[in-house]
Amino acid sequence: MLSLDFLDDVRRMNKRQLYYQVLNFGMIVSSALMIWKGLMVVTGSESPIVVVLSGSMEPAFHRGDLLFLTNRVEDPIRVGEIVVFRIEGREIPIVHRVLKIHEKENGDIKFLTKGDNNAVDDRGLYKQGQHWLEKKDVVGRARGSLVN
Amino acid sequence: EVRGQMSGVRGQGSGGAAGGDEEVIRPPDRENRLLILNQFFWFQWRIDEKPVKIDKWDGAAVKNSLDDAAKKVLLEKFEYVENFCLVDGRLMICTVSCLFAMLALVWDYLHPFPESRPGLVLCGSGSGFCSLTRLLITYFIMMGILTLYTSYKEKNIFLVALQKDPAGMDPDHVWQLSSSLKRFDDLYTLRVSFSDGKTKNWREAEFTKSVAVFFDDSGTLVMDQFEKSVSKLHDTLAMEKKTK
Repeated sequence: MLSLDFLDDVRRMNKRQLYYQVLNFGMIVSSALMIWKGLMVVTGSESPIVVVLSGSMEPAFHRGDLLFLTNRVEDPIRVGEIVVFRIEGREIPIVHRVLKIHEKENGDIKFLTKGDNNAVDDRGLYKQGQHWLEKKDVVGRARGSLVN
Repeated sequence: EVRGQMSGVRGQGSGGAAGGDEEVIRPPDRENRLLILNQFFWFQWRIDEKPVKIDKWDGAAVKNSLDDAAKKVLLEKFEYVENFCLVDGRLMICTVSCLFAMLALVWDYLHPFPESRPGLVLCGSGSGFCSLTRLLITYFIMMGILTLYTSYKEKNIFLVALQKDPAGMDPDHVWQLSSSLKRFDDLYTLRVSFSDGKTKNWREAEFTKSVAVFFDDSGTLVMDQFEKSVSKLHDTLAMEKKTK
């Protein structure tokens, strides 16, 4: 007959043990999920860890490096900081440096970005008719990196 | 139902039937073959009597198979009744934790993570942000509870069995099995503890042997050897009971 030796372990289990194995798997998945959500809550960013996708920030960051982000309200964005932002309508986050900021008294800002390795600023990347980025486009500010 | 289908196999076959008194057994055609295979497979699914064979170098598998064999001895030879309270406790904690995690997932999906809003953030208006924090904290507390439960309440115990009083009057005696096998070590320790139902006495005995005593070269568990050791341990405790 069919030799199912590798399944012998499963066959020897009773209902409880089988349920425990399923639960074990569920626990691993849950723990990973909760740690990710925990990081989201602690850093305030919707994506606390991102990967650098292009070489536009060389020699500071290379493609494949990991970045740790925070997005707390108390820390305002300043010129010269590296921010990760999303352009409206596009999914992929971009990692560039802030060049100029216009700031209102109530804290609203409009800022312009440029990649260190790019020749021109990002206005070409922004949406049609958009000249400045706003706070809502920001995913977070780079706090630390892991070189790949 | 099985017999009906089996006899159906005899009658059919490819090609024409032979004449006369001879009964010709034709090979089953494809449909019947699948049916037979299906039933054979199902009956052989539960393999309680097949000798246990594992990878002798895999420490976890060795410990698990020894634990299962010890369980078998107590439950089948001495016919004690397994009590699931300890295991159920752990399953309950794990299930509740998973439910909290799923709740957090659903909550996060319904209330998308608020992007950095200037001003407000913490637990002011009971926003999704705040409740996510609460769910997370609850989950990690559950993890803590689980760790405490496994370390202090369960303590390596893998079987709690009740010895029913034959007269039916006294409360049951409780037998507990626990074991340990250190990583990359070959010494297996089996601990049997006995708790008298009436006098509430508590005794325990243990043995430590190399796993090589119970497994042969190919990784098959030699049940007789193991059963002897476990029974000896059991009888030591039972004997003490009688002399007291």
